[in-house]
Amino acid sequence: MPELEHVFAPTLPIPDFLVGEVQSKLAYVDENIRQAQVTPAGDRITLYLYRPADQPAITELEEKTQRVVLSMVKGAFKPKVQVLEDHLDRLVPYSSDPHSELLARGEISPEAQGIYTLGPLLSRLILYFESLFLELADTFGAEPYRFPTLIPARYLERVNYFQAFPHSLSFVTHLRADLDAIDHFSQHAACEPDGSLNTPPDSFAPLQTLLSPAVCYHLYFSLADRPLPTGKVTATAVGNCFRYEAINLTSLERMWNFTMREVIFVGPKDFVLDNREAARLHMSRVFAEIGLAYRVESANDPFFIGEFRKQAAFQSAFQLKFEIRARLPFKESSLAVGSYNYHQDFFGRRLNITVPDGTPAHTGCVAFGLERMAYAFLSQYGFDPQGWPAAIREACL
Amino acid sequence: MDTDETSSLSQQVQALLVDALGVPAEQVTPSLAFGDLPQWDSMGHMEVMILLEARFGVEINAETITALTSGPAIYAYLQENGHA
Repeated sequence: MPELEHVFAPTLPIPDFLVGEVQSKLAYVDENIRQAQVTPAGDRITLYLYRPADQPAITELEEKTQRVVLSMVKGAFKPKVQVLEDHLDRLVPYSSDPHSELLARGEISPEAQGIYTLGPLLSRLILYFESLFLELADTFGAEPYRFPTLIPARYLERVNYFQAFPHSLSFVTHLRADLDAIDHFSQHAACEPDGSLNTPPDSFAPLQTLLSPAVCYHLYFSLADRPLPTGKVTATAVGNCFRYEAINLTSLERMWNFTMREVIFVGPKDFVLDNREAARLHMSRVFAEIGLAYRVESANDPFFIGEFRKQAAFQSAFQLKFEIRARLPFKESSLAVGSYNYHQDFFGRRLNITVPDGTPAHTGCVAFGLERMAYAFLSQYGFDPQGWPAAIREACL
Repeated sequence: MDTDETSSLSQQVQALLVDALGVPAEQVTPSLAFGDLPQWDSMGHMEVMILLEARFGVEINAETITALTSGPAIYAYLQENGHA
């Protein structure tokens, strides 16, 4: 009998530190999965489906899911979580989910899954947080940059992005420079009920370009294949970033298209690490002033299943990434609103960027998700400006 | 210490690095360390760790990942843990 919901046990029990990671990756198992849940104990998986599936389809779904579980769980080691700051218990006045209120006020208008237009309140909050991040950039004398939204495929290939994050890529193309193809498109293009264009795939040019998944990559590519002129670079930029997250794209917590402000350091190891730490200390004071409830803890990037075990282990062992996790009181959970990152000399080696002694440059960045900052703030302080910290109230009203 | 055993272990370490990093044996010098070859980057390092686990039963954890970053360090670790 066809099923709309399928419950089964994973081949290997999923340890508690991997439950969230595995659950998020199940979004990519099959397009018929509407929602995937792993029990907190890691002993049961439930797949909720869009369309009823017969037994062969269920068997295939389960087999693909077990592949994900095996790949991520077998041989996984528990990361040692290092907490640098813990202010999660800071008193905040609000505890409701802001999503429905944002919708009701017209502050978010969903255009498609993970794509939102933001209204005046969110935009003012983002401008305010941007001013704080620009002050941080100024303390380092960071030079301003503007980076494109598009990024060539060959750039991402050079830094191994296709292996590490294939699931989140967003591709860009255009109609071939061919009169027949363009004429045909202009006369026949229409959207199917699911929103997809009815255009034949061969109308489009080969995929050579993607939407950029990160801000700092553009700086590294601009510095590639030559020595750093002054031995070190400090830059800042804000940019659109794109990470497709399938059914995980819910509310402002996870957007396909979001913006990040970054402060980026390129140079010798100590230069990068010292500045990363100085940035953290600066932001610790800023977050105290605006009353944000958060903690800073070690983390890893959301590598895809084949690379997850290796790369997450490496990142965790060397403490390369620390996330700023803001409290979401309405779900007694937290959300990464920023991160302090150190890439060692990965980009220096891959892109042949050298410091004056001829060795590969080290890189690091501090990054803030602007929509998530505003969302976390409203989750903690709500919509009544009287309850907001004075600085934010004055800046946003 | 038995000279043959020492030689054997050092040969095993060299063979492990050759296989994990995918480089010719002549590039794996006795003092080779993480970062000395383009192949021994973060991803290469984890290939080294996975092969250490498979061939010698070395547990992959934060301590071993950060400590076993050179041929001599791997050799010393294996020797201390009864592989020589």
